[in-house]
Amino acid sequence: MDATDKPRLHRRGPLEYVAWAVCVLVAGGLAHTLVTNENYQWDVVGQYFTAPTILEGLRLTIVLTILAMLFGGILGMVVAVMRASTVRPVQLLASGYITFFRGTPVLVQLIFWFNIAALYPNIAVGIPFTGISQAVDVNALMSATTAAIIGLSLNEAAYLAEIIRGGFASVDKGQIEAADSLGMSARKKLFRVIIPQAMPTVVPATGNQMIGMFKETSLVSVLGVAELLQSTQLIYARTYQTIPLLIVACLWYLIMTLALSYPQSLIEKRYSLVKSRVSSEAAVDPVPLGGEAR
Amino acid sequence: MNGDGTVYARGLRKCYGDRVVLGSIDLDVKCGEIVCVIGPSGSGKSTLLRCIDGLEEADRGILRVNGEDLGFVETETAYRARNRKEVAMQRTRIGMVFQQFNLFPNMTARENVMAGPVLVKGVAKKTAALRADSLLADVGLSGHGDHYPWQLSGGQKQRVAIARALAMDPNVMLFDEPTSALDPERVGEVLAVMKGLAERGMTMLVATHEMGFAKEVADTVMFMDGGVVVEQGPPTEVLGNPKEPRTQKFLEKVL
Repeated sequence: MDATDKPRLHRRGPLEYVAWAVCVLVAGGLAHTLVTNENYQWDVVGQYFTAPTILEGLRLTIVLTILAMLFGGILGMVVAVMRASTVRPVQLLASGYITFFRGTPVLVQLIFWFNIAALYPNIAVGIPFTGISQAVDVNALMSATTAAIIGLSLNEAAYLAEIIRGGFASVDKGQIEAADSLGMSARKKLFRVIIPQAMPTVVPATGNQMIGMFKETSLVSVLGVAELLQSTQLIYARTYQTIPLLIVACLWYLIMTLALSYPQSLIEKRYSLVKSRVSSEAAVDPVPLGGEAR
Repeated sequence: MNGDGTVYARGLRKCYGDRVVLGSIDLDVKCGEIVCVIGPSGSGKSTLLRCIDGLEEADRGILRVNGEDLGFVETETAYRARNRKEVAMQRTRIGMVFQQFNLFPNMTARENVMAGPVLVKGVAKKTAALRADSLLADVGLSGHGDHYPWQLSGGQKQRVAIARALAMDPNVMLFDEPTSALDPERVGEVLAVMKGLAERGMTMLVATHEMGFAKEVADTVMFMDGGVVVEQGPPTEVLGNPKEPRTQKFLEKVL
């Protein structure tokens, strides 16, 4: 073989062989027990995998995820804009919100919203000083599903607000100065200059949050909302086939997160390209190598 | 659109904590005058221009651009801040060109030039696009309207930035070291555009290290150091025959 065509081979350290050995052992052991341990009851898994109750639960999980991300996103944007405000009380309100919702467990928040009627049994919706008002029974209003959507959305809003704030911070200060010097209003500046440039940072992170939210919805099972996990629990409470049904739930969660990961990776790739272009705009022209420029 | 095109300052002062960045600046820029501000880095040239554009606020002193107190209204005892709309209106009449161009990366060259007229003045998109194309042609960039900033060289970006500022029909143009971030071979094309603008009678304040440009184009050269104007006058005097030792020392280094 011609020496100019010979490939360059690299040494493999002993650690790599050890790692392969461990990998094969673990995989083999796992496969062995999955097949031989009858307690997994794979036939039951197969039987319930596409059962109507499970699919209905899956549907609700998807709906909860979408609604929580939608409302959380809208509110998160509002909170992030408030957080970036130069008006101190507005800023404090936003950081207070973020601190509270990020500082307490979602599970506790969910149970709290479900029981909010204990705190405010009736709320009156009306126009102040006119005497026109309509009392609303909070207990009737706050169904488990409503509490779930409110709880997940409010919590997610706090996290998304921080992500969006990070996006705002990634926009070069010169961009804001350029907009200011043209006399742009705060609103135009936000929607035409800041938000479009914050997107490359915000969108991929939001995708990750969505994948997280998909699994987080399982928490609302404690409120009795018949989402994916609760649906499996309803079945195994009856049949005592706990393990196979939990496997059904796990498989669905896994399938859905994998399905979401693919568009997520595409989004990340696309936006990292946009970001590199944007940042190359802010950068100084590269100085040509060598002295030929002079 | 009211004209004027003057910049007037008396005792303009600004501090960052203990550090004095502008120590009592007086300015009398007439309509159509070209003033080049020279001086070492940190001498306050940029801060002065940024104050005149309202990007920074002076602590004390009078600052009138286009004949109006910038950003504030004088009362018996104080300067009261104008409302945002008025300030925005004042800013539309002042054009600023930045060292780092600060083009909007999410917009094409044409959209960058259209941004001010469309988003601030409410000009129809079609009209603004036509105007943008003619402005781009003026700065030698016809045919580049659809290019995004990342597809342009530094000199081209800076010329788009100049067109963007001109699209607002300003009475005063400010240039904050417009060629300092450029490759040496790109400096000339930007200076040529600025020279053309000067010949058409635009009032210009230019912070620059380009002594050749100052000598050729400026009516007045101001040498700043340590936040104060050390010496000012026609380029032949300040650059050709400086009287102050600090000016002499600076020019020895840069020329």
